[in-house]
Amino acid sequence: MKVLVLGGSGYIGSRLCELLAASGWATPVSASSSRQQAGAKGLRVDTTDPASLRLAVQDMDAVVNCVAGSPRAIAEGAKVLGEVCAKAGCERIVHLSSMAVYGRREGPVQERAPVDQSLGWYARAKCEAERHMASFVERGGTAVMLRPGCVWGPGSQLWVGRIGRCLHARRLGDLGEAGDGWSNLVHVDDVCNAICAALRLPQPAGQVRAYNLAAPDSPRWNDYFVDLALAIGATPVRRISPLQLRVDAWVGAPALKLAQSALARAGRKAAALPDPLPPGLLGLWQRHLRLESEKARSELGVRWTPYAEALQQSAGWYLQAQHHAH
Amino acid sequence: MIVDADTIEMNACLWADVCVVGGGAAGIALALALSGQGLRIVLLESGRLRGHAPTQALYAGEVADERLHSPPDKYRTRRMGGSTAIWGGRCVPFDPFDFDARSQVPDSGWPLSLADLLPFYPQANALAEAGRFSYDAEQALGPNAPPMIRGFASALVTTSSLERFSCPTDFGRRYARRLQLAGDLKVLLGANCTAVRLAAGALAVDEMEVRTLAGRQFRVAVRAAVIATGGLETARLLLASRDVAPAGIGNEHDVVGRYYMCHIAGNVGNLTFSGATRDVRHGYEITPEGVYCRRRLAVAGSEQQRRGLANAVARLHFPRITDPAHRNGVLSGLFLARRLISYEYGKRLNDGTPTTAMLYARHLLNVLADPLDTSAFLAHWVARRTLAQRKFPSVILRNRTNRFSLEVHGDQSPRADSRVTLTGKADALGMPQLRVDWRYSPQDIESIRRTLDLMAQEFERSGTGCLEYDPHTLEEDLLRFGAYGGHHIGTARMGSDPRKSVVDADCRVHSVGNLYVAGSAVFPTSSQANPTLTLIALSLRLGRHLAQRLAPRPLTQVDLKPPAPRPTATVETPKPVVRPPADVAPQPEPQPVAHAEAQP
Repeated sequence: MKVLVLGGSGYIGSRLCELLAASGWATPVSASSSRQQAGAKGLRVDTTDPASLRLAVQDMDAVVNCVAGSPRAIAEGAKVLGEVCAKAGCERIVHLSSMAVYGRREGPVQERAPVDQSLGWYARAKCEAERHMASFVERGGTAVMLRPGCVWGPGSQLWVGRIGRCLHARRLGDLGEAGDGWSNLVHVDDVCNAICAALRLPQPAGQVRAYNLAAPDSPRWNDYFVDLALAIGATPVRRISPLQLRVDAWVGAPALKLAQSALARAGRKAAALPDPLPPGLLGLWQRHLRLESEKARSELGVRWTPYAEALQQSAGWYLQAQHHAH
Repeated sequence: MIVDADTIEMNACLWADVCVVGGGAAGIALALALSGQGLRIVLLESGRLRGHAPTQALYAGEVADERLHSPPDKYRTRRMGGSTAIWGGRCVPFDPFDFDARSQVPDSGWPLSLADLLPFYPQANALAEAGRFSYDAEQALGPNAPPMIRGFASALVTTSSLERFSCPTDFGRRYARRLQLAGDLKVLLGANCTAVRLAAGALAVDEMEVRTLAGRQFRVAVRAAVIATGGLETARLLLASRDVAPAGIGNEHDVVGRYYMCHIAGNVGNLTFSGATRDVRHGYEITPEGVYCRRRLAVAGSEQQRRGLANAVARLHFPRITDPAHRNGVLSGLFLARRLISYEYGKRLNDGTPTTAMLYARHLLNVLADPLDTSAFLAHWVARRTLAQRKFPSVILRNRTNRFSLEVHGDQSPRADSRVTLTGKADALGMPQLRVDWRYSPQDIESIRRTLDLMAQEFERSGTGCLEYDPHTLEEDLLRFGAYGGHHIGTARMGSDPRKSVVDADCRVHSVGNLYVAGSAVFPTSSQANPTLTLIALSLRLGRHLAQRLAPRPLTQVDLKPPAPRPTATVETPKPVVRPPADVAPQPEPQPVAHAEAQP
């Protein structure tokens, strides 16, 4: 099976290409938006440009859409992808959506829960992308939409690197009520395995399915922060006050974003700056949304990496990365 | 969800698989443990999210001797979260031998062992936000943690056991959101349970009677009911529910309200260390998870048994505050500020010393003579306690002289004549008020005396210090503030003999098939440990028992296994809710309790 992986240089996409290449049954073709990211073997594809995408989709049996980035790349990209695949006769799309489509919903959430795009640009774009997948299916394709929680594991800058750095800087720790939400962490390999299963899922044409992806033993955010802090030696863990968090998010984050873009314009590396913790993150950490992922286990056969194992791998990667940086 | 009881229709009958009375540490822990198991849970909480004076006044009552026991409306808060709104946060598990029948403690012995509670302690610790369940200094702080007293090594007196401190966590505030979001759980605020209604024959609970201060009245029909209203109110509700059982529920053998215990506690003696001041760690350490903890002195368990001692611990403490002879500016500052400190925390500043102008002047002089220490202390206090989320647990002074007193906290022997009873006076809801007659035994004081002697002997033997105390004033020193406030234990004690206990090892009232008690009322003995952590663990254990007994589906093996140790502090496993969200609309036919279960 020839599989085009859009966003193939990203965190999930690159790991997926590795796994597909080793699978024996699939030949992945990695595609990225820039020449630099695509590398020597990958394709350079602008997913919002139909012509560019049409070329890439030729002779593909399936497309995995791991595109991240701007609202346009997410929403418009999904629209173009659906149209191009329908025309080119590429019948199967596995689309990486997000738990953000459930918006402000709290409590246990199954796939049949209605979507809610009230949570900002990212949720809006992800909801719109899902609608484009639905219209692709109406034109005879089959689609699987995966809605992962927070994808972590070795190499995850978002949920391991950034969190670890903030724990060391004592900007994060035990957040009390502000960190009582469920983390819905899911190991990157589990997401990739779900994608592989979705690619081979016996599914009639004209059908779209959605699956939540979150390890059922993923803890609340506070527990994750404390566990990670202990594992990487960011101790003693601090209890962070709600006031400190708010100042960090509403004052610190905008300033850091500005500084980052200024550095980027000047052609300097922004890595030396502290990570911004935008207000949306604070909302995520206190949201008691629990992704129910039983359907992914029973229908896709995903076997969740145990939390303790994922934690150990992630902390190991973090410590190694820190070691190399110094 | 959380709703106001005044929104419930007058005279309605709600229906619940489990009705929990009381939203304190026990009730909240239990409700959270029961949620997600396919049961409908109603939690009745008398108070609201904040304190409310008319509700608090429902706690008013009498004490036999005001010098021995604080009034019943002190050290307790009748509101969501219960007395966790004012607790100090000290968390200590019971020792293994606390559960044994010990000849030196009459009527001791639990029908369960520490091993029965161990699977639940880690989650109790997590709910209390006291970090990992690790109470050994070396294990919790690492092998390089400084000793309590350098050079002190004794097989008889240990310094390795820890106490840990909660934030202190106000359970009402901290877990409101979880309770609010649980679809199978209905928390009713302002809901006072005024009677437990037994079915004819008195073998099972039919309904719980509920009233609000605004005059609303309704009932909750139950499959099982749990009283989690604390050591004093539990006895009150059982004794006052006497329409079917004339002596009160569970009181066939006149045990309810008896064996009432607190702790024997006080500051005694002068302990002077001989080494350098830096060789003594009298304050708090911080664990890697960021939790304050502290070592204590204790006689080793085997030695307690061999010598016939009751369980007790001692902490290094500063001298008596009210006596200005300590010449410490911080302590004198506390004395001068005592009017600003709440009853519960200011008690030691009001120990009956006559307050003369001279006394004030001497304390003022202490403050003026010690400005650096006093201001350093104030700055630390404001930063680490007043403004901090995780609060520095108590006043710790810089060790300048190597002189301390010992703060003792010990087991008291259960006594049938130490008891709470109902008075002829009623509260605003018509519930009879309580009279508290707390008593202790000479052997409790004697046991502390021998404990202190053993400690003194070991300090002398090791050459590390010298402990002196006046045996003639020991009893006065230990009883200066009466029973240790806030620890209300034993009024519905657990045991296997219905003639000498109220509930069985499952916390079920012996004579009633579906009535349970959660909280320290069921402890048959008090231990050296503060009760909160253990009562939470016991509530979690009760939660598992009820879930198994009432489960609408057979539990899988996974459910039955005790939570396996994990790197995370919480052990909540998500369980699918197999019923739709709780709907507590009136139900014509509450499910009867199976007869087999209702047999006492």
